[in-house]
Amino acid sequence: MSRPRVKPPQQRGSDPISASALAHQPETLRAFLKLYGTLWSHGVLDQATKELARIRNARTVNCAICKSIRFEGARKEGLSEALVDEIRDGYETSALSPRQKAVLRFTDTFLSAEPEVDEAQRRELLAHFTPAELVELTAGLALFMGFSKIAVALGGMPESLPVTVQPTPDWPSAGD
Amino acid sequence: MSWLPASGPGRDDFERVFALRPNLFEAWREFASLFFEKRLVDPVVLELCRLRIAQLHGARHPLSLRTPEARAAGLDEAKLAALDAWWRSPGFSELERSCLRFAEQFVTDASGLSDDEARPVVAALGDAGTVAFVEALAVFDGFGRFCRMLDVEPAGAGA
Repeated sequence: MSRPRVKPPQQRGSDPISASALAHQPETLRAFLKLYGTLWSHGVLDQATKELARIRNARTVNCAICKSIRFEGARKEGLSEALVDEIRDGYETSALSPRQKAVLRFTDTFLSAEPEVDEAQRRELLAHFTPAELVELTAGLALFMGFSKIAVALGGMPESLPVTVQPTPDWPSAGD
Repeated sequence: MSWLPASGPGRDDFERVFALRPNLFEAWREFASLFFEKRLVDPVVLELCRLRIAQLHGARHPLSLRTPEARAAGLDEAKLAALDAWWRSPGFSELERSCLRFAEQFVTDASGLSDDEARPVVAALGDAGTVAFVEALAVFDGFGRFCRMLDVEPAGAGA
């Protein structure tokens, strides 16, 4: 485990996010949980697609915590561990669908040093997703990447963790 | 204008794009506005890091904005003109340098952040300040990329 640069406070919550060092800022933590709950449970894009992007990001940024989590909603929508295993380098030749591969390509572009979508990729994305779904996917990637990097930058990261299925983030009053 | 073939209401391209997901945009605004409004970190330090990250991404929308809190705290265009080579300029304080170094490493490879790079930031900002700082960096990095990916125009580039 890497040495923590900021340790979690004594007063903290029970889920992995609320139990982390983020609890030092209760107001931003609450606003983030609302944002994250809105993204996951009050969106227009299916949860399995967001989970594909989240896990691809977790593997690229190498956040052990993010890599170990599976959200229940995506599981129920059919994102099995066998499919998750395909989200690796070499996914282009995997059994994933063209839509799923488009999500992984989009994620890789987002995480690259030149986060720019060319004309061919735009056409491919618009063939699979509505504009609102693409906004949601891109905002989701911004949060997945940002908060993976926070976990890495604050230290205290274990080498690996067992896979655990967790409730999908929600903020019941967020509205749809 | 963004390449997305639809948009919602808004004052600039960023708002019009994000308005396609109204409840998400509202929740994002609530979160992202806290860092400057509540002064969780010195606004000049935050603004320097926000704009430096936008420079690294070549993200035209965030580069076109100026945060009033940082202006009010004394950050001017003369100092910003030196931001793209801040390490060569004597006009940046030790704290600003430490935070800019941290921010650049966060964007390029967070796992490559060294204890030597993190220590002065944590020492100066404290635990709560460091958490706010990295959360703000996550917003600047993530939504700078959002703007590049969706080709969001700078503010004031037309409706």
